[in-house]
Amino acid sequence: MLNSPFFSFLTLLIFKQKTKHIGVVVISVMIIFLLSSILFISSSLQQTLQKNLKNQPDIIVSSLKAGRSVDTPIEWIDKIVEIDGVESVTPRVYGRYFFTPNENSFWIIGVDFFDEQSNQNLKSLIDQVELREFFSTPSMIVGDGVGEFMRGHFYSDSFSFRLPDGGFKEVKIAKELLSSTNLIANDMIVMPQELAREIFGMDDEVVTDIAFNIPNSSEWDNIITKLHLLFYDIRVVDKREMIKSYRGLYNYKGGLFLVLYLVTIATFMLILYQRYSMVYSSDRRDIGILRATGWSIKDILKLKFYETLIITMVSFVMGVVLAYGYIFVLDAPLVLEIFLGGANLANSVELVPTIEFGLLGSIFLIFAIPLFGSVLIPVWRIATTPPKEAML
Amino acid sequence: MIEIEALYKIFYEQSSNPFYALKDINLTIAKGEAVVISGVSGSGKSTLLSIIASLDRPSSGRVIVDGEPISKLPDIHASAYRARSIGFIFQHFNLIESLSVEENVIAPLINSRLDMTTIYSMVKRSMEVANISHKASQSISELSGGERQRCAIARALVNNPNIIICDEPTANLDRENSILFIDILSRLKAEGKSIIIATHDPLFDSLPFESRVIEMVDGEIV
Repeated sequence: MLNSPFFSFLTLLIFKQKTKHIGVVVISVMIIFLLSSILFISSSLQQTLQKNLKNQPDIIVSSLKAGRSVDTPIEWIDKIVEIDGVESVTPRVYGRYFFTPNENSFWIIGVDFFDEQSNQNLKSLIDQVELREFFSTPSMIVGDGVGEFMRGHFYSDSFSFRLPDGGFKEVKIAKELLSSTNLIANDMIVMPQELAREIFGMDDEVVTDIAFNIPNSSEWDNIITKLHLLFYDIRVVDKREMIKSYRGLYNYKGGLFLVLYLVTIATFMLILYQRYSMVYSSDRRDIGILRATGWSIKDILKLKFYETLIITMVSFVMGVVLAYGYIFVLDAPLVLEIFLGGANLANSVELVPTIEFGLLGSIFLIFAIPLFGSVLIPVWRIATTPPKEAML
Repeated sequence: MIEIEALYKIFYEQSSNPFYALKDINLTIAKGEAVVISGVSGSGKSTLLSIIASLDRPSSGRVIVDGEPISKLPDIHASAYRARSIGFIFQHFNLIESLSVEENVIAPLINSRLDMTTIYSMVKRSMEVANISHKASQSISELSGGERQRCAIARALVNNPNIIICDEPTANLDRENSILFIDILSRLKAEGKSIIIATHDPLFDSLPFESRVIEMVDGEIV
């Protein structure tokens, strides 16, 4: 079929009229590039996020007083442990530490290094630490963003935290996390729980919250109900809600972008349409000539359909490949900043290559249908006029 | 054989002031006959040729070619009729500027379902008849008026049609090229093609082959 006279003539026409087609291809590639970039970045972020959240504890319980968050009594652990189906109950001490000179803040996570961890991310981190060395001097593990920030402020080996009583506590930087954990741990500091208590001025009888896992996911709702019966003023966060809220956050940003891009695409479409209108006079004459030499309306529509299809396919493949390179090879300069905006520390997230073929198909259709319409409808109108009129 | 019966072409038919481009045309052209239709501009010559070639439709009346009425054919059949039976040579040549001579000549055969080898042999033969083979790969924009005319002739002949229709074929040619064109027509006539020429060029008053002259005035044969 492809080496038939029809396809030979079709490729000939495309190459002979390349100046007309190059303009259309350039504009089309830009549209596809913009749409695919958004698709790639949002699906990659979501996948990374999901991977990170998978390792989070299933349930987090904290205490409230009239709806206000307060420290959680550590004695709650004894009651939670007694609930059937609960595993890896971990008291957690954490909070935001403000570095006032720069109006930056970090998350300090206090960990009992000898306890079973409900958070698998923390567990794998602790496994890498040489504990004897870690406990010989007050030490901490810092996220990639925190490490960079501290180095930028000349705290390359240790950092002095200001204590509630006005004193200072120097803590050694024992390890810096890899940038692959940045989406979750970019602004995180992990340290022994006692050290975190000292920095936050917390008593031994309270913790920030209590985390645990429920291996049988069908028991989640039952156990949450039991928790509400056990404790009066309680806030329960389960992992499903966390995933949902993070996904919502990135979907919202993706949506915002999509609106901006739709405006851009509408502009490009207008340019494309105008470009095609400009070549109508010569196209019109050529269609008239072909009709006069025995081409039927169907033959003309077939020629223009395949011509548009080839241009659309070439533009689509080029646009997608360029977007893939921009997002996953160059790490999406400019656009990623907007997606991760709101973080108080500069965040450099490693984007994992992800391709959703269903959405790519949708992009192809969103782009191709108006383009085919803008070409085939006028061509049909020209082809149905008497050839003598079209040739004028 | 071409038979034209009570043919009318009326523009602005629904208005209070309709324009009659063709009025009650009755004409028979035998197979292999050459007919010269003369008349001033606006006399209806080109309109008549367009209807014979099925490029336009009459308001009323019939055109019958080899026993088949062609004036009211649906597009798919009208196109097939043009591709099969008609070779049209236009006053302004009507060539696709972005293509070469050979590519223009090939265009009528693209949907013919012939294989490429057959198509190229037909194109070669047609270019030889029109004496344009030496310019086969040249772009249309690089050709002189006479060469464009010969390219248009090659394209008109490529499908080996029975009817050659020429609309003011020498209007854009100098005397030398016009004589060359008439020479090509002589050869086509000798091959048994029916030839219909609309012209007011006096060169066609004394053709080197037998022909019938028809005079048209205000859409009527006089």
